[in-house]
Amino acid sequence: MSGNLLHRPSILRRPDGIGGALPALTLIALFFVVPVLALLLRSVTEPVPGLHNYATLFGDGTYARVFFNTFLVATVVTAVTVVVAFPVAWMLAIMPPALGSIVFGIIILSMWTNLLTRTYAWMVLLQRTGVINRTLMDIGLISEPLPLINNLTGVTIGMVYIMLPFMILPLVGTLRAIDPMTLRAAALCGASPFDAFRRILLPLSLPGIAAGGLMVFVMSLGYFVTPTLLGGISNMMLAAMIAQMIQSLLNWGLGSAAAFILLLVTMALYALQLRLVGARRMTGGI
Amino acid sequence: MTKPFLSIRDLRKAFGGFVAVHDVTIDIPKGEFLTFLGPSGSGKSTTLYAIAGFQQPTSGDVLLEGRSLLSVPSHKRNIGMVFQRYTLFQHLTVAENVAFPLRVRRRPDAEVNRKVAEMLSLVRLESFGGRYPGALSGGQQQRVALARALAYDPPILLMDEPLSALDKKLREEIQAEIRRIHRETGVTILYVTHDQDEALHLSDRIALFRDGRIEQIGTGEDLYLRPASEFVASFIGNSNFLPAEHLETVNGSATIRLADGSVVSGVRNDREFSQGQKTRLMVRPEAFRLRPGAATAGLAVEFIDTAFFGERRRVIARTAAGQEIDVRPTSDMAQAQEGIAPRGQQIFFDPAAAFLFPA
Repeated sequence: MSGNLLHRPSILRRPDGIGGALPALTLIALFFVVPVLALLLRSVTEPVPGLHNYATLFGDGTYARVFFNTFLVATVVTAVTVVVAFPVAWMLAIMPPALGSIVFGIIILSMWTNLLTRTYAWMVLLQRTGVINRTLMDIGLISEPLPLINNLTGVTIGMVYIMLPFMILPLVGTLRAIDPMTLRAAALCGASPFDAFRRILLPLSLPGIAAGGLMVFVMSLGYFVTPTLLGGISNMMLAAMIAQMIQSLLNWGLGSAAAFILLLVTMALYALQLRLVGARRMTGGI
Repeated sequence: MTKPFLSIRDLRKAFGGFVAVHDVTIDIPKGEFLTFLGPSGSGKSTTLYAIAGFQQPTSGDVLLEGRSLLSVPSHKRNIGMVFQRYTLFQHLTVAENVAFPLRVRRRPDAEVNRKVAEMLSLVRLESFGGRYPGALSGGQQQRVALARALAYDPPILLMDEPLSALDKKLREEIQAEIRRIHRETGVTILYVTHDQDEALHLSDRIALFRDGRIEQIGTGEDLYLRPASEFVASFIGNSNFLPAEHLETVNGSATIRLADGSVVSGVRNDREFSQGQKTRLMVRPEAFRLRPGAATAGLAVEFIDTAFFGERRRVIARTAAGQEIDVRPTSDMAQAQEGIAPRGQQIFFDPAAAFLFPA
């Protein structure tokens, strides 16, 4: 309550707030909006003016395959992340706060550990002679090593692991706001645990799932390190393709067009989500 | 003997070494409005949760029409419940909330719609079906919760301090609604509250809890007029406790000596006290009179403060022994004529309306 009172004056003075935000807004304008416009310009002017870069991207089977791979991986990663993250988030939401903050700390810590280190660790774990394959063969579950690396399976495993915190954090926020008594009420109303989950808990947690899902999906679309290291050359994803176009092939026009498409898709998804879930619920009602 | 409708048998609930409920036994006839009254932590909510199935009792049993409920999970108990906090499903409209228990029971649409309309009219929210809970006041939300809890015609309705989040005026309004709904539906209600006025206003019977045990169970009148213990006497209504020495008891009528040396006889007493034993005499503030009537005992006091409250007068008086007592005689015309003398007054009470408790 007192927090509300403390915040009220700043809300009343909101128009003045632009002054303080000016440095950040200038940075974003200079180093995001301007480059994006330059990117758009390059994509329709290089090597010659016209929409031929876009035509190439949509027309060529190789590129289409990269787009397909990218969306497939992002979709699968998002879906798996939601399923894996939900029980963790629920556990965190109903845990005693002291214990919860320890588990929370571990999750955050994994986020802060160097990305390359974690991805290389997965390479070691997933390779033909890696710990996972060897253990499975030793206990006799498989006779041949499973192909866990240099394919989309490897990419999915590695990416789900990287993305988990981005799903768990917004989801915990949403789940914590749900009164456990609501579920008891549902039970007494005659809802089986499954019914209570499907009809009450899941719909109530949708804003968190949507927020986390968007974050994971968009990050997955543009992810570079993990897909490159765990996916191998034949399973190239969009970010790697853009890097190759610009670094190796020096084809700025085509690379810019691909990057711009990625940006458009991201913005379209965000707009769609705002419509479906509502801006207030997405940002937690701030 | 006919089987009781709902029967709580030797119910005990321990959390580690702490026993929250000590072997509580109650029989509840069909259609009764029974209130569990008591201070917080007295075990009343724990008992209710055992009936709801949220907590498995350590020992004892809960029987509905002779069948044990303990092995039945919450969602199959077919019990209605209204909670202290607002537990409406925020993503569903009022009508969908009320329909929820019927939907999970896979009832046909026509029946669901008819029942929802019937329930919304029972709680007088007919025009609110399309709204979301967030757009309702606290009182309206609890009425929807009541409609949702009654939609599937449960044999028992549990209410866990449903009005504690509401302001006084709204509380009284919804109390009247609850009484009406109990009258109209005939559902058996178990109601938990720490508010004695609410308990007296609503219930057929009150079970007064203290430290995990039932101190007394009976009608509001029983508890008020015939309190079984000093705790009951002080929890229900207001009381004055005067130190008194027990002289003798003959045929349930005690003679005592008060601190100022005056001897009072005719005090109702069914306890065993020895001669000279220290006891406490309980007199309700409203049992005092400013004029002696028939068979009244006098008490010499000094008036410290008097105030007029319409139906009652309130006097703070000090006894010769220096004890402050609360005196609230009625202020009807006959009494009003008495006037109030500022000093050296006597007040009077009927010994038969006073009780003797161990010191």
